Amino acid sequence: MPKFSHWLIPTVALFGLLWVSLFVYYPIDISATDTLSAFFGTDDELLHITILDLRLPRSLVAIVMGANLAVAGALLQTLTRNPLASPSLLSVNAGASLGMVTATAIAPAFFSGYSIAFIASLGGGLSWLLVMLISGGWQASQNNHRIILAGIAVSLFCAAVTKLVIIIAEDQAINILNWLAGGISHIRWIDWWVILPFFVLNMIFCGIFANQLNLLNLSDDAAQSLGINLLKVRWITNIVALLIIGASVSVAGPVAFIGLLIPHLARYMIGYDLRNVLPMSMLLGGCLMLIADIIARAVTFPNEIPAGAILALIGAPIFVLFARRRR
Amino acid sequence: MKHNKGAFLSNISPFYPIAVLLLIVLFALSLQLGTYFLSPVEIWQVFQDPSNPHYFTLIEYRLPRAILAVLIGGALALSGALIQSIVRNPLASPDILGINNAAGLVAVLCLIFFPGIAFYWIPILAFVAGIVAFVVLWVVCGFHFRPIKMAIIGVALSALWAAISHYVMLANPLDINSAMLWLTGSLWGRSWSYVNVVLPWLLLLLPCAFFFCRDLDTLSLGEQKSASLGVPINNIQIIVLLIAVALATTAVAICGPIAFLGLVAPHLARHLIGGRHRHLLPASLLLGAILLLISDILARIIAPPIEIPAGVLTAILGAPYFFYLLMRTK
Repeated sequence: MPKFSHWLIPTVALFGLLWVSLFVYYPIDISATDTLSAFFGTDDELLHITILDLRLPRSLVAIVMGANLAVAGALLQTLTRNPLASPSLLSVNAGASLGMVTATAIAPAFFSGYSIAFIASLGGGLSWLLVMLISGGWQASQNNHRIILAGIAVSLFCAAVTKLVIIIAEDQAINILNWLAGGISHIRWIDWWVILPFFVLNMIFCGIFANQLNLLNLSDDAAQSLGINLLKVRWITNIVALLIIGASVSVAGPVAFIGLLIPHLARYMIGYDLRNVLPMSMLLGGCLMLIADIIARAVTFPNEIPAGAILALIGAPIFVLFARRRR
Repeated sequence: MKHNKGAFLSNISPFYPIAVLLLIVLFALSLQLGTYFLSPVEIWQVFQDPSNPHYFTLIEYRLPRAILAVLIGGALALSGALIQSIVRNPLASPDILGINNAAGLVAVLCLIFFPGIAFYWIPILAFVAGIVAFVVLWVVCGFHFRPIKMAIIGVALSALWAAISHYVMLANPLDINSAMLWLTGSLWGRSWSYVNVVLPWLLLLLPCAFFFCRDLDTLSLGEQKSASLGVPINNIQIIVLLIAVALATTAVAICGPIAFLGLVAPHLARHLIGGRHRHLLPASLLLGAILLLISDILARIIAPPIEIPAGVLTAILGAPYFFYLLMRTK
């Protein structure tokens, strides 16, 4: 078991960031100590509402979706045995947004909350299937780069169709750019209740399957001879990954690069054992999303830009670095 | 690199008449279609009579737009053909290598931070950005070009340039039309002033490109063979690349990064008439012009009062072809 401090630092960082994220770079100025007092009962109605009803859900959703996307990235990297795999590069994000946009364009009243999360997962699943078909990804570990190129091409395709649907169906084109960039500025408690069950699913799955996923990192033959039902594990992992990505996208739009970056960081910190990597990815993913959200508020304060744009800016150079490092 | 043996049409003679005819028909259609329909007779009348109520729409709006579609489509396709020949990589094209997005980034920066800048500077600055993007790609690739790896690093760099321009736009909100324009590429609202900017460049660059046909043919035999045949490879590669980058960036400076056109048109041309550059280059040019005209027409007529960016349609039409290429590339 790795050292205690390896876990302590990210956990403390996460809670510290959660606290900081509740008061920095907001137009209404509330001091750090007042923020804490809002939790332990206060007479100030404004303080209570601002912190608990407006800011807290936003920060909590940031943590949970960061954790979800990071774990999804780790799962996809394990499934494809490709270190570049991640929800955004393998087009799952783009497919999920396409599914969601199409569904709301066709029947806005019918789809809301949980059903939209499932539709997003379905869209992500379809585009993921397309990527697999194009790249011949069934034989994992061959042609590592091709699956990424296929993913990016499918992403571009889905993004183009998404724009087409939005332009034809929606009136307020001004929101497109913001939504497609992926941000969490509009989050309220209701979004938290949508994403929470998926996070719980994520935790349960990681607890039960981390061990078997470790074996999936070996060759197929080795995993099989150790008594793993490969097909079953792959199916369940795929479905869980798609569900947690779909939930995240439906709440906050396609946020890129957390799923690429965080699993690498987690592995670097704590080794290759997925029983450690997955929880560590959750912690670090939450931290990164919170940081990105704070920066997103800071750069054009008192306005703000979507956190996804910040993450793309951080993530793209790292993608270049990873792409270069592979032979 | 394939030569005539892989060509779909063993005899190339029917290609040019058909392509030119198609281009003319599409050009005429592009003048006719729009918010309201004009028959060919009406168009003729309008040309005769400047006091006609449709004169403004036709001359100031639809005509420059159609001309630009031909010019831009041709330039992008030609650029793609040149780049594919030089790096001998079927997956290469100005958009996949990040040149388009880099030029788009510079155009966005100019529009936001120097709104007063004279318009004819933008193609030049975009050209510089395209060159820089290509040099960055070359350095990051480790100074040589293996197909899949080059494509993936190009895509990564492309994502980087796109992320920066996206960020700049979100932090400094433009009006939504120009924002969508610079994200997807569109011919919406382009007037004669744009034609005047782009035309001299193309008239300068086209003869230059065709001047190198023979050398490009030799180059497709492989670097060592062509060196032994007396072709100054390095010089040719650098000059042709500069021409290709200039063509692509001029196009992007006018109407934003249009996806997949520079990849698909040369492939289609190669498939139809083979790899001899004397035919490949003009064929790519024609096919690029045809494809962009089709996309622009579709962009106007899919959901009438609304304009869809042509770049969205080239992506929807072009991406499946890229899937097919990817499945085939070893």
